[in-house]
Amino acid sequence: MPKCTIDGKEVEFKPGENLITVAKRAGVDIPVFCYHPGLTVVAQCRMCYVEVEKMPKLQTACSTNAAEGMVVKTNSENVKKGRAGTMEFLLLNHPLDCPICDKSGECDLQDNSYGHGSAYMRHSEERRTYVDVDMGPVIEKNMNRCIHCTRCIRFGDEIAGIREMVAVKRGNNVDITTIDGEALKTEYAGNYADICPTGSLTLRDFRFRKRAWMLKKTASICEGCSKGCNIELQHEGNVVYRTIPRENLEVNKYWMCDEGRFNYHYTQDETRVLEPRWNNEKTSWEDSILAVKTALEGKKVLFLVGTDLTLEEMSAIREFTGLYYPGSVLQHFGTPGIETSAQDQPADKILKMTSKTSNLRGAEKLGIVPHNPRVDHDFSAAVVFTGGRAVLPELGHAIQVGVGVFLDKDHQTAKYQHILPGLAYTEKDGTIINHQGKEQKLKRAILPRGRSKSTAEILMLLANKKTKVGVA
Amino acid sequence: MLVKRKPAIWNRLYFVEIIQGLWITFKNFLFHKKVTIQFPEQRRDYSSRYRGQHYIKSVNNVENCTACMLCPTVCPASCIHIIAGEREDKEKYPVKFDIDILRCCFCGMCEEACPKDAIKLSNIYEMSQQNREVYEKDFLLEQRGNK
Ligand code: SF4
Ligand code: SF4
Ligand code: SF4
Ligand code: SF4
Ligand code: FES
Repeated sequence: MPKCTIDGKEVEFKPGENLITVAKRAGVDIPVFCYHPGLTVVAQCRMCYVEVEKMPKLQTACSTNAAEGMVVKTNSENVKKGRAGTMEFLLLNHPLDCPICDKSGECDLQDNSYGHGSAYMRHSEERRTYVDVDMGPVIEKNMNRCIHCTRCIRFGDEIAGIREMVAVKRGNNVDITTIDGEALKTEYAGNYADICPTGSLTLRDFRFRKRAWMLKKTASICEGCSKGCNIELQHEGNVVYRTIPRENLEVNKYWMCDEGRFNYHYTQDETRVLEPRWNNEKTSWEDSILAVKTALEGKKVLFLVGTDLTLEEMSAIREFTGLYYPGSVLQHFGTPGIETSAQDQPADKILKMTSKTSNLRGAEKLGIVPHNPRVDHDFSAAVVFTGGRAVLPELGHAIQVGVGVFLDKDHQTAKYQHILPGLAYTEKDGTIINHQGKEQKLKRAILPRGRSKSTAEILMLLANKKTKVGVA
Repeated sequence: MLVKRKPAIWNRLYFVEIIQGLWITFKNFLFHKKVTIQFPEQRRDYSSRYRGQHYIKSVNNVENCTACMLCPTVCPASCIHIIAGEREDKEKYPVKFDIDILRCCFCGMCEEACPKDAIKLSNIYEMSQQNREVYEKDFLLEQRGNK
């Protein structure tokens, strides 16, 4: 492999790699604004200046590809001066908004200003101000904070597949806005807030709810569809505040869809069942477990597992049904109409899949067959295990026991005689198999809410011979 | 190793010590200025930098605070609890601003961190209460100092 020298260190590179990527491998961080590894290079912000030997002027590292024998300095006096100059230009019009800006704490402009800018300001003219367009329910726009890096424009164009953001006017009056000031249409709008290096585009959902540095971060997997985007759950005080995508070039690259991003809300819904229920009355765990055992005794039971459960949970359920309810039927359910992995196809050209549950492949791997609502089953009791995301099946008259996450909202609970509250995807560890057959790990971000218990624990209670059937 | 010493009768009587102690007591009683004062009739002068009861500065009845959360971030006692919101005349303001004053150690770091010159520690030091009170926003907005 060809080699070049960055700050005195020899680094190997693949032809076509730019200096930012190569420098990162050498442990040298070059400050950037407009460069994003997932987008095309435009070299617009001029922050990534480096000095290349034998070139008369400073070069932008994002648009300069490494070449054999190249000698690059990223920290010379000239470079420092260049960066400081760029920083000063970018901050000429930037408001002192950090105290009220949601980006603060994870802001590239803050970090680079601290690292490469000056603490003093030379100009005293009035700063330009804008009236902001309403960008719809996902994104809040604050044009005063924009540094015209055009990452957002390129994201819409290249990733979301819809050119909806544009730069209008010129020079100092430039305005980065949507075409005709319309609301954003893409279903991937949350990514605008992630890629914007300033607080110009922020999430409405997260607006003023927490400061970025207060949040604890847990790397997990999205359960929104069978894509299995890598995400980071950000939480504090046992409350999840937001979800952001994690880089995984094999799965979701740098992005995630809005459905998955805001999916966590249901796990914190006020109407979520957090105590065992018996005919829609709160009861204790002891009473409910006894009642469920009594109700299931001697019946032909249909066990249904949601394909939103983890592999571990599914295999525990399979083992449990085989041991304690031999002769019962075990089937999976999830997205109506998507019963096998062959039916699970990309729903758009970006990330989304048609299976709206994450672990269809897991259920298939364990040999669980799909539930067919069109076929009449001769069972007299049904036990439904769900993680909260799968669409609950219509089961008619039989005695129904629900285990997992249920909301009173949308009349989910009405038909169930017993509900045993389980854990949502933010509250448990486990494995999920995505549409590529990749096993990925869910990680527990917050502790279980209310009196809910894990599936394994509930199965153990149901299996325990000491809780005698028929004795209240 | 234990060393055996002869018992010194003279030392055991503590006679000299008693006389010395009594002499110090009498000396202070008779010839020295009193150090205590008759509080609350008499009061001491405190330094203007004294760190006492908190307040949030307001200008024209609008609180200076923008709920930036720097004070709860810096507070070593974690006793400031803020919930931020938005209203017509102010993009970001504290809907709730509580100081759990029993936990506060009066370090004054909140005052130092505040970019908006909002949270202040006044000179007031009489803060005894009969219940375990939390200072709420309304109480903190009473302007009780001119720092
Ligand atoms: S965009 Fe960054 S620098 Fe600008 S106000 Fe927000 S946090 Fe501060
Ligand atoms: S809104 Fe953000 S991403 Fe778009 S150009 Fe401005 S700073 Fe860049
Ligand atoms: S004085 Fe110190 S301990 Fe008290 S609220 Fe301020 S920062 Fe916290
Ligand atoms: S530091 Fe100042 S402006 Fe920020 S939340 Fe505290 S009192 Fe308000
Ligand atoms: S990152 Fe290279 S010019 Fe913007």
